[in-house]
Amino acid sequence: MTLEVIAFTLAGLLAAGGAVAVLFVREAMRLMIGLGSFLLGVAGLFLYFGLPFLATAQVFVYVGGVLVLMVFAVMVVHRQADDRPVMEVRHDVGAAAVALAVTVTIVACLRSVVGDALPTPGVYSGVLADELLGPKLLVFEMAGALLLTGLVAVLTIREGEDR
Amino acid sequence: MTLLLGMGWGALGVLVIAVGAIFGVWWERKVSARIQMRLGPQQIGPAGSLQMIADVPKLLFREDIIPARADRTLFKLAPLIVFAPIAIAMVVIPFTSGWAPMDMSVGVLFFLAVPSIESIALLISAWASHNTLSTLGGLRGAAQLISYEVPRSLSVLPLVLLAGSLRPLDIAQRWEWWWFPLTLVAFVVFFIASLAEMNRGPFDMPEDESELVAGYFADYSGMRWAIFMMAEYGAMIVASLFAATTFLGGGWPLSGAAGTVLMVVKAVALVTVIMWVKWTLPRVRPDQLMSFCWKILTPLALIQLVVVGVVLIWL
Repeated sequence: MTLEVIAFTLAGLLAAGGAVAVLFVREAMRLMIGLGSFLLGVAGLFLYFGLPFLATAQVFVYVGGVLVLMVFAVMVVHRQADDRPVMEVRHDVGAAAVALAVTVTIVACLRSVVGDALPTPGVYSGVLADELLGPKLLVFEMAGALLLTGLVAVLTIREGEDR
Repeated sequence: MTLLLGMGWGALGVLVIAVGAIFGVWWERKVSARIQMRLGPQQIGPAGSLQMIADVPKLLFREDIIPARADRTLFKLAPLIVFAPIAIAMVVIPFTSGWAPMDMSVGVLFFLAVPSIESIALLISAWASHNTLSTLGGLRGAAQLISYEVPRSLSVLPLVLLAGSLRPLDIAQRWEWWWFPLTLVAFVVFFIASLAEMNRGPFDMPEDESELVAGYFADYSGMRWAIFMMAEYGAMIVASLFAATTFLGGGWPLSGAAGTVLMVVKAVALVTVIMWVKWTLPRVRPDQLMSFCWKILTPLALIQLVVVGVVLIWL
């Protein structure tokens, strides 16, 4: 067994273990650690496949940004004297069905859009930059504008509710 | 083989940070004493330099207290998570103009991304302590880290534009003396944002002793407490080394071994300035901290980016 295989196995175990923890652990902070482990595991898998840009972006955006905000939200939960807040899921089956449907949609889209045209590992970040800032610049900017619109919409809706 | 090499460099990084922290504590005592017109450590060894030989065993043998209401597993885990990202971030720093422990095509992004994991550790330690002061400290720390990540990341981009690469080695090799005056604003923004990211004064509200005792690590004692302190000194050393190699040209105007020595001297000078700032300026309020980040530092970093972008057209 080579060291690369060991590294791959470790990253896979980290991702799979984290995913299982997210599914079955109910205590809020431990669940977040499970999610962090999953995200780091996925970053490890990206590294294994020679995609350092994606791996670093994964850590920067998801672990250092999104996860921190989620942990922050857990921190401000009101705690009784000695309890540990737990997540209560009332729609297990529905949530699983939505997750499955989203996964199938993403896989189907990626298969038809990307196909065999995946860039060569190693020169990936350069190819990605050329694609995003070249022919796909308009789509890239529109996606950014759409996200910004979504954020403004959420703020507006929240302000309306507060009033 | 790469994995073994990486683990070896990781272990060396931890050693460098641990030794650096020991010297850093002694140096900070001397600097703060100088600023406050005291003598500082002076009894043990020349200029008190062996004081830490007495201090380290003291911390090692101190009773390890875990509060009864704490979450024991997370309480023990947090110091490890807080220390690891600092040590890992060190591997992409070019110690000479042609060599870094790990040559990574996206090294600059890696250096900015990995320490952000520290904020999770900070929140976990605050949560695990199950204590109001720790929780407040943790929340303050996380808010500070998330906010100052923005100007810190933006401030490095002018260098990336000038070098045309995200690889720290390329920045070190292509650095020219006129980059320094051109990116001076970015350097100042990076320096201030790094102060806030490492929770150093005047941005040390997460551990504000007059309000929160020691904030997120108020309940830690002995070696676990020492790991938090080592992480703080480690962050100072790593940020200073990165600034010295990228913004200050590493070993410029020297090269080879003399260049490496000069780079370390520049980093030590930056560490000294960090200490000087802490012991001179009063602590800012949380609203001042946020306002300074979003209304001053971030616009300044953006303006600097535009200036470098415009200058690049004429090059």
